[in-house]
Amino acid sequence: MNGLASHPHHTRRRAVLLIGLLAGLVVAAALWGLSVGAVAIPVHVIINTLFNLDGEQQSYIIMRSRLPRMVLALLAGGALALSGAIIQAVIRNPLASPNIIGINAGAALFALGMVLFFPAIPQVWMPLAACVGGLCAAGFVIAVAHYRQVSAIHLALIGVAVGFLFQAGVDYLLITSNDSESSAPLIWLTGSLWGRSWGHVAISWIPLLGLSALALVLSYRLDLIALGEGTATGLGLNVPRQRLLLLLVATLLASVSVAVVGVMGFIGLMAPHIARRLVGGSHRLMLPVAALVGMLLVVLADGIGRAIAPPIEVSAGILAALIGAPFFVYIMLTTEAESGS
Amino acid sequence: MPLTLRFVFLTAAVLACALLSLAIGPRSDVSLANVVQLLLVDDGSLARSAVVDLRLPRTLVAGLIGINLALAGLALQAVTRNPLASESVLGINQGAALGVAIGLVVPALVVVNPGVMAILGAILAGMVTLGIAGGLGGRLDSMRLVLAGVTVGAFSFALVRFTFTLEDNLARTMLTWTAADISAARLDQLLPLVGWALCGLVASMAMAHSFNILALGDGASHGLGVDPRRRRFAGAMLAAILTGASVAAAGPVMFVGLVMPHLCRLWFGPDHRVLVPAVALGGAGLVLAADVISKLVRFPYETPLGIICALIGAPYFLYATLRARSMA
Repeated sequence: MNGLASHPHHTRRRAVLLIGLLAGLVVAAALWGLSVGAVAIPVHVIINTLFNLDGEQQSYIIMRSRLPRMVLALLAGGALALSGAIIQAVIRNPLASPNIIGINAGAALFALGMVLFFPAIPQVWMPLAACVGGLCAAGFVIAVAHYRQVSAIHLALIGVAVGFLFQAGVDYLLITSNDSESSAPLIWLTGSLWGRSWGHVAISWIPLLGLSALALVLSYRLDLIALGEGTATGLGLNVPRQRLLLLLVATLLASVSVAVVGVMGFIGLMAPHIARRLVGGSHRLMLPVAALVGMLLVVLADGIGRAIAPPIEVSAGILAALIGAPFFVYIMLTTEAESGS
Repeated sequence: MPLTLRFVFLTAAVLACALLSLAIGPRSDVSLANVVQLLLVDDGSLARSAVVDLRLPRTLVAGLIGINLALAGLALQAVTRNPLASESVLGINQGAALGVAIGLVVPALVVVNPGVMAILGAILAGMVTLGIAGGLGGRLDSMRLVLAGVTVGAFSFALVRFTFTLEDNLARTMLTWTAADISAARLDQLLPLVGWALCGLVASMAMAHSFNILALGDGASHGLGVDPRRRRFAGAMLAAILTGASVAAAGPVMFVGLVMPHLCRLWFGPDHRVLVPAVALGGAGLVLAADVISKLVRFPYETPLGIICALIGAPYFLYATLRARSMA
């Protein structure tokens, strides 16, 4: 990595190439995702439909059903990845992710609670409820990390326990809401893009895009913090305040995604690690790469989930957990080795 | 307080919980005052049949899975020497649930019966967790063990959750089952559970001595001529089998195996020869108490047992992880 840093031009060209390549992959995966499912649609028909060209079109399926979920997959994937990258950097814990520190379960509990207890409140407010829940969970874990010097692995454990607590609440709400005969909230909770419509895009795109942009703008501060608290303070940065601000952005990003796509664990864990492997630890580069990787992961998970056995859909969240759990174990084993026992 | 008196107290508490569990319900003709009489005397009334045919099996199931899960937790904590270990934290519970779920979704895959599927799932999950954490060699890192277990649990439960996204009826069945709703328990389900609980109790008593030796550390057990690996293996297998049997009977009830050994160690001290009967009694009492709560929380509606246990156990788990700072 030092070798790369000494050749800034080389690094920059490589990074631009890599980002271009990743963006191309995301577009290709998205096109593939639009084409698979219960009705297979050839790519040229998709392009005709999207750009309203002459020739065969499939407006109904694409515009009403697949395009909104694709947009949500892109938004949520990017948001979760950015959230995970920021959290890992700020609390300096390679095991951390929005899911591990309990944000997802907290957001799910509050979003579900709003839907079940206050059905009169319009859905627009669901992301807000999710944010309150995410902030509760994250606030607790971060307070513990702040006031008691705990090891990286212990903090992850405390986050897991907080997640269990909120999950118990979610299960209680789900079971006691027997009056609704449908299993729609169940499917939502497994982290599925099933049945997502433009309504979900409408309530989430402004906060998700805004927060993502803010995260990218703030990314250089992560690099400053990474220099160490003393150096960062010397460079004129109020480190504690910046940390809080960054964690706030990360929590809100994850919470809003939970409100629209449900609990999708492990994306926020995997994407930053993959990005770090690709471009190294500089956050100005790493954050956009992580966002692209996150998009790619969610779009692929959603597409594969629909392609395995149509018309049955396997939730993207379930696929993400199946890949992510072994990944987490791998990270844990290597973290242990590095910290040197 | 002398040991005998403590056991008398605990037994009385368990019996009280059992009576409450029998007496509470939406029927107005059954109350704490006449429940014992209804149980003992066959007067041919509807109340008698409600108590004996509907409520008694359920109460017994609650008590028996309490015994099984608490003993499994005790064995796991002894084997791993980790106060946070228990079947739900190490993913064994969820592995058993996965075994049952696979059996429900793909009936062709069922080996013998759902109970065996649950036990196989439990054993597999336990092996994976222990394998990630460093095997049975005694170099188990405590935090790593728990995180590995939680991850194995998350992985298994992600697969169980897959059934939620299938057809609505199956989804509802699975959801009630994963919430460990025991309100539909009947007498004929009891026999295997009684067998497992008895086997578990006898086996735990037999292993109590080796649990005590394991607590001294590997060096001491080698010195005393006890092979720690084999004892650990036996303990872990016992825990997996007991968990599998309970999960097959009632669904995955969380945290009983974590909470009860802790509380009993506080009250009865660290000697496993005393702890085994105490934990068995306490486990029965805890699940019976949870059953009583599950009937009362939204009276006259019932809340599934597993939800109540999770609501009691999750805060306790958080408390235990916060206290465990010195473990790392």
